[in-house]
Amino acid sequence: MRSNRQQSIRRNGFSNRLGWLLSLLAVLLTFGVSSVFADMGIGGAEQRIAPIGRVHIEGQDFIPAVDSVASEIEEPELIAAPRTSRKDYPNIGVSSRAVVWILAQMHLFFGALVLAVPLFVLAIELVGVATGDERYDSMAHEFMKISLTGFSITAIFGGSLALFLLYPDFMGYMMHVFGAQWLVYAALFFLESFFLYTYYYGWNAMRYGNMKWVHLSLGLLLNGAGMTIMVMANSWATFMMAPSGVNEVGAVIGNIWEVMKGPLWNPINLHRFIANIGFGGAVVGAYAAYKFLSTKDMEKRAHYDWMGYTSNFIAILAFLPLPFAGYWLMAEIYAYSQQMGITAMGGILAWLFIVQAVLIGTILLAGNYYLWAGMSRTEGSKRYKPFIGFIAFVLVISFLIWVTPHTLMLSASEIAQLGGSHHHILGPLGIMPAKNIAVNLMLIVTFLSFQLYRRSDKVATVSWAPIGNALMVAIYVVAIVNIIFLGVYFGYFTNTVYKVGSSVAQVSSTLVVIIAGIVIDSLMFKNAKILPSHWGRIPDRAQYALFALPIAFTWLMGLMGYVRSSVKTHWHVYTVMKDNSPDNFIPTIGYAGNMITIVTVLFLLFVLFMFWIASLSGTKQPKPETVAEGGVA
Amino acid sequence: MSEENKIGGAVLLVIWIAALSISLVAFYGLDHLIMNMQGLPLNADLTPAG
Amino acid sequence: MNVFFKTMGFSIGLALIFTLVTQLLPQVEGEAPVETKVDLSSLTMDDFVTMGEDLFMNKGTCTLCHKPPPIGRAPDIQSMDMVSTVAERLADERYQGESKDAAGYILESMIDPSKFVVAGWGKKGSNDTVSPMPAVDKAPIQLSVMEMDAIIAYLQAKDGNEVTVSLPSPEAAAEAAAAAPAAGGGVALASAATAEEALGKYACSACHAMDSEDPLVGPGLATVGRRLSETEIRQSIVDPAAVIAEGFPPAMPADFAEKMTVKELEMLVQHLAEKK
Repeated sequence: MRSNRQQSIRRNGFSNRLGWLLSLLAVLLTFGVSSVFADMGIGGAEQRIAPIGRVHIEGQDFIPAVDSVASEIEEPELIAAPRTSRKDYPNIGVSSRAVVWILAQMHLFFGALVLAVPLFVLAIELVGVATGDERYDSMAHEFMKISLTGFSITAIFGGSLALFLLYPDFMGYMMHVFGAQWLVYAALFFLESFFLYTYYYGWNAMRYGNMKWVHLSLGLLLNGAGMTIMVMANSWATFMMAPSGVNEVGAVIGNIWEVMKGPLWNPINLHRFIANIGFGGAVVGAYAAYKFLSTKDMEKRAHYDWMGYTSNFIAILAFLPLPFAGYWLMAEIYAYSQQMGITAMGGILAWLFIVQAVLIGTILLAGNYYLWAGMSRTEGSKRYKPFIGFIAFVLVISFLIWVTPHTLMLSASEIAQLGGSHHHILGPLGIMPAKNIAVNLMLIVTFLSFQLYRRSDKVATVSWAPIGNALMVAIYVVAIVNIIFLGVYFGYFTNTVYKVGSSVAQVSSTLVVIIAGIVIDSLMFKNAKILPSHWGRIPDRAQYALFALPIAFTWLMGLMGYVRSSVKTHWHVYTVMKDNSPDNFIPTIGYAGNMITIVTVLFLLFVLFMFWIASLSGTKQPKPETVAEGGVA
Repeated sequence: MSEENKIGGAVLLVIWIAALSISLVAFYGLDHLIMNMQGLPLNADLTPAG
Repeated sequence: MNVFFKTMGFSIGLALIFTLVTQLLPQVEGEAPVETKVDLSSLTMDDFVTMGEDLFMNKGTCTLCHKPPPIGRAPDIQSMDMVSTVAERLADERYQGESKDAAGYILESMIDPSKFVVAGWGKKGSNDTVSPMPAVDKAPIQLSVMEMDAIIAYLQAKDGNEVTVSLPSPEAAAEAAAAAPAAGGGVALASAATAEEALGKYACSACHAMDSEDPLVGPGLATVGRRLSETEIRQSIVDPAAVIAEGFPPAMPADFAEKMTVKELEMLVQHLAEKK
């Protein structure tokens, strides 16, 4: 009984701390979203986006670049982007793009993993310090241990060598544009390695007292270096999509900051930052699930169950705000180039969002299922069982609406068969307002699952609990009604401008529910009565949800990489440097699907290798007896 | 559970109605706020005023 | 080991399901615009109109936005008689351009779309004064003058109106063919017929202001004829590095000598020398 109680308290503290982190994340996100609102005002897009060839510092009037160039004594040479022809691309017998695709994607997978893990490891370590519970510390250390090899794997897949060999002119141009930034990047790698090894190997050496704070600072520096590396690498990708700091022919006219700070840089930064955390959580969750399934030892099972739960918590938590970050990114893409936006959402790539819906549906269903299965750990969960049916129903309906295809590319005969470019019954479900409703409802009910799970082992003792409950239920009900109303009324009965505007209000409603839920629950369950709960008491099949999550996450990242890269169409650097290689077309979705599965399976194998290396360090070979005897003799 | 039992049915009804009204007002305000921030004002009945 | 196979099987199976979904969807490849060599000497107006239609549907990416409501993001040009529509628009008091006829208006709307913004289709917040349409002669679409003419021909012809743009001349075709190898894999552009066209074709105004002396990347050219002789102008174009205007970077492309036809070069030199 006593250990149960301890565990409950431990988890309670943990949930509260993470609750705060979530609030922080939500606040950050709100700022992100509010900047979208701000930018939607008159002239906002104009100010925000410095078109190529007209880069200037925010807040200042446009000064022709030559003024500053002319006044400087040392004149930088203006070199236009190279114009390549097909013979400038080495032919290696297989598709160069496929090679780079695999290398780059593996690099990104491991890069994302090793950037994300230290982030939540530091958070968990902090929780450990705050609660004084050493088990947090051990878990953080274990997370670190299993991802350690990932750093080397990331470096191995750097892929730059292949890029230089396969796309010499393009890489030469990129080197020219980013110049000294590459040196900073390389230097940061040394810093990152230094902090990584001191942070990991110094864990036990700096475990208590003031030394612990030194250790935490190392963790912070590690994350600082990692984050800087990430945003630098992001600037290359966003420069390729929406170049800034160069003129129409690709000659550099701005400084490195102006080159980096393109219109899509920050949206990508935020999006990747959040997604990395979700991805990292999902991958270490699979580790815990595997360990859980491999052992019959109840104590170990309890430990890995708790670890798996935490990983799932991190993954889904990071996942919830992701669509909003994606919304911001898409809005910026449309603002930068309507043509690019339509290529992504309405052109040949549009079918891809059906696949995206399948993947996100898988993630949400798996995450929810894991939470529901996890309710068997606690004795207080019976109260909430009826909700599960409702949540599952909303999830499935919303999911079906989401995958209803928008009319995209139909041949004349298909249009004739359908009697118009939209299906007369399903048509209204295929367009954006319906999908917006579906997505927001899915997020809301997933949060409801979360909230119910977190409540399942507690009974509120504060006197105003009935008021709090009533308010919470009312917020859910009104928010859902509001989201449906906004989508249906503005989406189908007013003009386009209001339709787009109302989707922001829908997103805000979802955010309000999430923030209100966190605030009300963290106040209401202060000093709550804790019901007994039993870690490890979860069906084996629930662990498969923890495998579905990383697979779907990995696949989703691969898919989004395909669309992000493809919207550039036949350009290396959009509008500035044409791609004249044999692979300058957008591959079919089926081809992309095969490639993504290849990289996903490769990633899976390398992750297994990484885990295996980690398990080696904990294995000690027993001293062979014959040798021992020989020694004595 | 025990706390809830102490509250009478009438009081509970008031609480629920109050919670619902507060939420309605809050989300009504939110819609106006968000749409106004984007330069898309609404009438009192939530129809577009632009 | 049992657990290993179960979990790996589950994971790979799931990945294969996702792959299957992608295989079930329509398989479309997004071809990069292909260089089409047009034999201008045997080009008929019908061919030209067909070429315009193809450009409208494909390379010009016009139909990304110009398609029927509710999915269109711009007026549905294909269902409108553009010649009669243009007449209405030219009479509109909001029209800011200088065109007098349909061909001129359509060209203007492709190069400078904000000259007239159809009510309701302007950029958000601009009160229909700024068009969201990109200039089609600039990257990433980069249509040539000839290609834009072909689109005009298509838009006029599709509703049975008289086509007023003229076919590119066979002489221009021959010169374009000669210029093609030097263009370095780019689309073979028609040779410019006038000095203004040549200025547009070689994107001089990307770096030089044509109607003022304000320096951009290179010096303004409004009164260049006062500063330089014809010979000096020719040298500056053919071999830009020979003499560089004080205070400017040596940024001017050095390959104009290969790219320009003799006729284009001479037209440009004449045109610039007259700017006094």
